[in-house]
Amino acid sequence: MSTLQEYLLIDRVKESPLSRVIQPETERERERLRIAVLTVPFFLLAVFGALVPLVMMIRISVAEEFLRAVSGWTVEPYQHLFASIAAFLPVVGTEVSAMISPTGESVSPVYGRTIWNSLWFGALTTVSSVTLGVAVAHGLEKYELPRKGLLITLISFPISLPGIVAAFMMIVLFGRTGLLTNVLAVLSGIRPVTLQLTGQPAGTALAILGLYFGYLYSMIPRATLLLRGTYAEVNTAAEEAARSLGATPLQTFRYVTLPQIRPGIVGAVILTFRTALAIFGTVLVLKSLSVVTFRFDQLIKVGYELNIASALATLFFVFTLCFTFVGLRYTSAEVAR
Amino acid sequence: MSSRDTEPQSIVSGEVPSRSPSRLGRLSARFGRRAVTALIGLTIAFLLVPVLFTFAASFFENLTGILPSGGLTLQNWKLALGVAESQGAQRGLGGFWTFVAPDVLFVLTLPNGVEYVLRVPYDVTIQTPIPVALGFSVLLALLGVVVNLIVGVPIAYAVTRYTFPGRRLVNTFAILPIVPGIILGIAFLKTYPDLPSVVALVLGYSLLKIPYMVLAVQSSFESMDLRRIEESARSLGASWTTTFVRVIVPGAKQGIISGSIISWTLAAAEFNFSYIVYSRGPRPFSLFLFENISNNPFLRAAAAISIYFVIVAAVTALLNWVGENGFSVGGVQ
Repeated sequence: MSTLQEYLLIDRVKESPLSRVIQPETERERERLRIAVLTVPFFLLAVFGALVPLVMMIRISVAEEFLRAVSGWTVEPYQHLFASIAAFLPVVGTEVSAMISPTGESVSPVYGRTIWNSLWFGALTTVSSVTLGVAVAHGLEKYELPRKGLLITLISFPISLPGIVAAFMMIVLFGRTGLLTNVLAVLSGIRPVTLQLTGQPAGTALAILGLYFGYLYSMIPRATLLLRGTYAEVNTAAEEAARSLGATPLQTFRYVTLPQIRPGIVGAVILTFRTALAIFGTVLVLKSLSVVTFRFDQLIKVGYELNIASALATLFFVFTLCFTFVGLRYTSAEVAR
Repeated sequence: MSSRDTEPQSIVSGEVPSRSPSRLGRLSARFGRRAVTALIGLTIAFLLVPVLFTFAASFFENLTGILPSGGLTLQNWKLALGVAESQGAQRGLGGFWTFVAPDVLFVLTLPNGVEYVLRVPYDVTIQTPIPVALGFSVLLALLGVVVNLIVGVPIAYAVTRYTFPGRRLVNTFAILPIVPGIILGIAFLKTYPDLPSVVALVLGYSLLKIPYMVLAVQSSFESMDLRRIEESARSLGASWTTTFVRVIVPGAKQGIISGSIISWTLAAAEFNFSYIVYSRGPRPFSLFLFENISNNPFLRAAAAISIYFVIVAAVTALLNWVGENGFSVGGVQ
């Protein structure tokens, strides 16, 4: 390339919109440059920390060969998953499963059952913790409680505890030598072994009840804090007016407070449900119910079925992404405010 | 009771609720406040009692029946910290850094073939009781915080101070933990196969904990009149960079400090991602907690977890000292 052509090229670059960002001339362009500089680190982190790995995960979920080099294309993992989900359906399950499955035979409904477990258990714990969160946030906001700062600190500290520790806390409360187990055993005269909630065979009602409390241990603080943000914006003048006009506290809550905090409640439900679906350590320790996250562990650590795990993780991710954004859009709930 | 009490009352229809309170209304007026207060107390007890019990039990020799018994002992803590050697090969938090002094220190061979060997008279084994995992996790989490600062403070400033296309979307992605730890772990497995576990863990921690940093810093920025501060500094002759580094950032000190503390603690305790991604090298702290919980006797596990409780208590005290209510800034996950 001759010197002359190079100059031309540089001139062309100089005139492109990109060059205006790099070499700004007006204040507006300078501001654009600043925004670019400020956001670049975040984009780098988002691309290398999240985007590239997620694309790789999706690629593996449709790859024929993944143990050494990732190559080839197949949709078998998804066929298998959907066949398994179909097999879980009542009545028509077996036939639909056989239609979808790659081998032409009906497959075990194990994934269908796991996904169902994740969903109903997540919904149950979400409703419980958000309900409790409303009550706690209400009390913290409205009542003259002593040492309010300390109370908030005490309610929020479990956010720092990983799920495995939450599980251990349940062993402390409900295990064979657990506090509540022993108190109950002394009161009722029954042997602790039949009362304990943790360490029971997986899937039994007692084991699931233990896991339920383990989930609540992680979820109550999060739900409460989300709702505290909502409560901070409630119009107290309207509540006072309602009370002075003769409404009972319950009526005031039902007709004045609740309509105001409803978007906040929906936001809290969405975010708490996300938390519930993503809980892993608690289940790994207590082993009480086969949920999706627990299934990942078996897929990866027991049999190295990375393609199925990736397909399941992709479904999981797309599902949470969709319901988060759709939910937050339709409720116009301000996230994290 | 009037008959209207039994009719469905709806806010949508604009119907006026009954004026005379129903029995439920009278009950709620009488006991509602007490019930909610009791519920708060019960919730705090549910969250706090097992923690206190675990901590207390870790100093006892036995645990049978409702209360721990036997004498007070530090043995559980010593075992968990790796200060005392337990029977068998099990070690606590990564056990010891063992340094075995070489047998032969120095060999001098003379030209005539005579060798002078300087030997250490006896085997020297230096065992340093350092909880390696703890130190390692502290460091890993610290690196994560550094990345979070470099990434989080600018993005928080950009979305608070400026308006640009896609600002809302960027904001949502910055404060919402989009990818759960376990999903990110699976995604990392094959993406960076040659990356040492250390780098992968730091990268993952930074991504998973960035929302806490952005939220905390943003709440500081929102309490400042950024435009005016920036314009005053600029009109007094400071360049934009100087303004940002010496005026804006120091102004958001509280948010930056509390964001750092929270993202540090959460990274140090991050389990789901570490469990899937970790393959070799020094182990993160959370994996040792897991090993203690799933393999060790109750009291030793209690001691191992209590180590973490001590850290959390210290961090909480620090946060309150900075002016936050403990971990309440990190309300989103």
